[in-house]
Amino acid sequence: MKVLFLQPPLGGWVTWGRHIAINVNHAQLAANLREWYPEIEIKVLDCRALDMDERKMIDAINEINPDLIYMGDALQTTGVAAIAPRYKRAASLIKQQNKDVKICVGGFYYGANAPQILKETKEFDFIIYGETEVTLPELAKELSKKDPDIPSVKGLSYWDRGEVKVTAYRPLFKNLDDLPLPAYDLFPMEKYIGFGRIRNYVETYHSRGCPNGCRFCVGWTNYDPRGNSDWTHYRIRSAKRVVDELELLERKFGAKFVVMMDEDFNVYRPRIEGLIEEALKRGLNVKYFFMGRAPYFLRDKDLLKELRKAGLIQCLFGLEAVDDETLKKIKKRITVDEVEETVIRCRENKIGTVITWMVGFPDDDERAIKDRFERLDQIDPDIAALQMMTPLPGIPMTPEVEPYIEERDLSKWDFQHPVVRTKYLTKEDLGRLAAWANREFYSKPGRMQRILYSKNIHLFCRLAARSYVETVDAHARAATKGEVFV
Amino acid sequence: MKRDVHITARDLLNAMQFREGDLGRIGILSGQPQRIEMCLEILGNPIKNFSAFGYTLWTGEYKGKRVTVGNGGMYAPDAALVTEIVCEGGVDVLIRLGSCGALRKDIDIGDLVIAEAALRGDGVTNYYVDKGFVPRAERELIEASSSIFDGKNVHYGTIWTTDALLRETKEIINRIIKEGAIGVDMVTSPFLTIANLYKRRALAILVVSDNLITGEMGFFDIRFFDAEREMVDKAFKLIEAIDA
Repeated sequence: MKVLFLQPPLGGWVTWGRHIAINVNHAQLAANLREWYPEIEIKVLDCRALDMDERKMIDAINEINPDLIYMGDALQTTGVAAIAPRYKRAASLIKQQNKDVKICVGGFYYGANAPQILKETKEFDFIIYGETEVTLPELAKELSKKDPDIPSVKGLSYWDRGEVKVTAYRPLFKNLDDLPLPAYDLFPMEKYIGFGRIRNYVETYHSRGCPNGCRFCVGWTNYDPRGNSDWTHYRIRSAKRVVDELELLERKFGAKFVVMMDEDFNVYRPRIEGLIEEALKRGLNVKYFFMGRAPYFLRDKDLLKELRKAGLIQCLFGLEAVDDETLKKIKKRITVDEVEETVIRCRENKIGTVITWMVGFPDDDERAIKDRFERLDQIDPDIAALQMMTPLPGIPMTPEVEPYIEERDLSKWDFQHPVVRTKYLTKEDLGRLAAWANREFYSKPGRMQRILYSKNIHLFCRLAARSYVETVDAHARAATKGEVFV
Repeated sequence: MKRDVHITARDLLNAMQFREGDLGRIGILSGQPQRIEMCLEILGNPIKNFSAFGYTLWTGEYKGKRVTVGNGGMYAPDAALVTEIVCEGGVDVLIRLGSCGALRKDIDIGDLVIAEAALRGDGVTNYYVDKGFVPRAERELIEASSSIFDGKNVHYGTIWTTDALLRETKEIINRIIKEGAIGVDMVTSPFLTIANLYKRRALAILVVSDNLITGEMGFFDIRFFDAEREMVDKAFKLIEAIDA
């Protein structure tokens, strides 16, 4: 049995430039498979990292001759749902060459919508319904048997004599410390590059889910809707294990910047304390980024100085909206003042800041968006990452946003194209306002000089900011003319 | 009128309790606040020692030299006002950090232009000098800058100063090019004219923000931001190199 983890040719978020990150979901699944079923052969083909086009991809796959191919992401940052048409096309090309190879997809977007997507995508043989960690290795194991019992593999959607079937719900994996560390050794680590410039760049994640469960969050789409709001069942790798991974990345793979893509890294203070203690004790030089929530950063504001010493150079937290009514509707559970103070505290400690904010809520009109931008501009993070409402199935807000969807081409469902209208704005209006806001933020005198050149901000943060500044025109083309980048 | 001139630069300095020696012998002026901020980050112990009508000057130290930094106006009238104030205040060497549009196809966004002279398309200098007057940068400063501002992205030549940004018509621009200008801005003419009248040493360094020949706009281009940074850093290298 030979399993191939395939990242087909793919672009990326326009604002991130030529960003080529490891698919850490693949690395984690490969590690699980290797540890649990060592008899199964594992291959990796990252066409994006190796700069392979479709023809080269097919040639390489023919050479590898796998029995099972897996595609999928755990992270929205690969391109939100714009990955889906790419994976479908890759599957179609592969099947034209070899009808017998099995193709499985899973993870972000697929996890909540497995049977629905499978019905529309005959090129896929299986879609994992919910978390992928155990299901994919079990599927591989089952397929290696002479007479596979597919219905016995929980958390799966599959074809059975022309009909789409689903297997039983798979309970969540409880203790992440029981998982092996991602199998980085199987991946072309030297090829990964952050924001078009940062070498020795790695993306990973150390938790699953988020206890806050914001109603707009695309993280929900990783999870089987038959569960009990599984996205909100927050599970973590311990601080020690997080630092084990950082140490492995630094010492074995030369990582200099690790971006921890957990939706909410700083939920527990003891974990942050543990991270500081372990990282300092082991004398790590690697720098890292994590995403969290403003109230937690403020709870831990006394730790920021030590966190900076222990390697944190940049963090992200969400603002999304600035009026109480919208924040309540989306269940963000933060205040604008908390976000503002977090920026101040981080800046005092030379920690770069990234704030996400949104446009495209059903009640958004021009004034609401301009007011939102005005407040964001005052708060003045180093990077403002604008995300347009992207109502994927599986997200709690989607039913109420569904009537406003005006773009069905998934290649544009990447946060950077308008896909909805609002009660008061056309889809085109939204795109124009998004382009305006992005230009306005990344042309402000004084801010540009700070985020591009200030020595108070770590070089990696400045390089990331540079990518946002450089891509303002391209972002506008995506937002207003529909140019596709993922 | 009781006086020949209603308000002079000296009046303004006096009104601000100016003392001789408050300003440095070297002055860096720019219309853009971010460039001033970048200069202040480099300057040691800057003290705000002049502020009127929204124009502010700070004086600090750089490599043993006292340097005054301030916002020197964005357009010809306010540039004339600030230039005259700093000349009257005792600044001997004036360096302008500005921006310009390129009048040659080969001058790119983010390139630097050293203004050797100015064509006077502005209105304000007519109140200072006769029609035939040609304002010029000081030759020694130009020569000193050539070893610091070098490379393919640096151009030396004449700048045409206009008051009407939105009336840079094809007809006017073709005429200006024939007269020898390689760039267009809104400040260099009064800046050099007044420095020349006061017999001060002056140089204008300009980062290219757009190109009138190709039509390219680069006001928000990263090459423009990078060149601003380079211009500020090299201006201080120039200060280090000159005898002042």
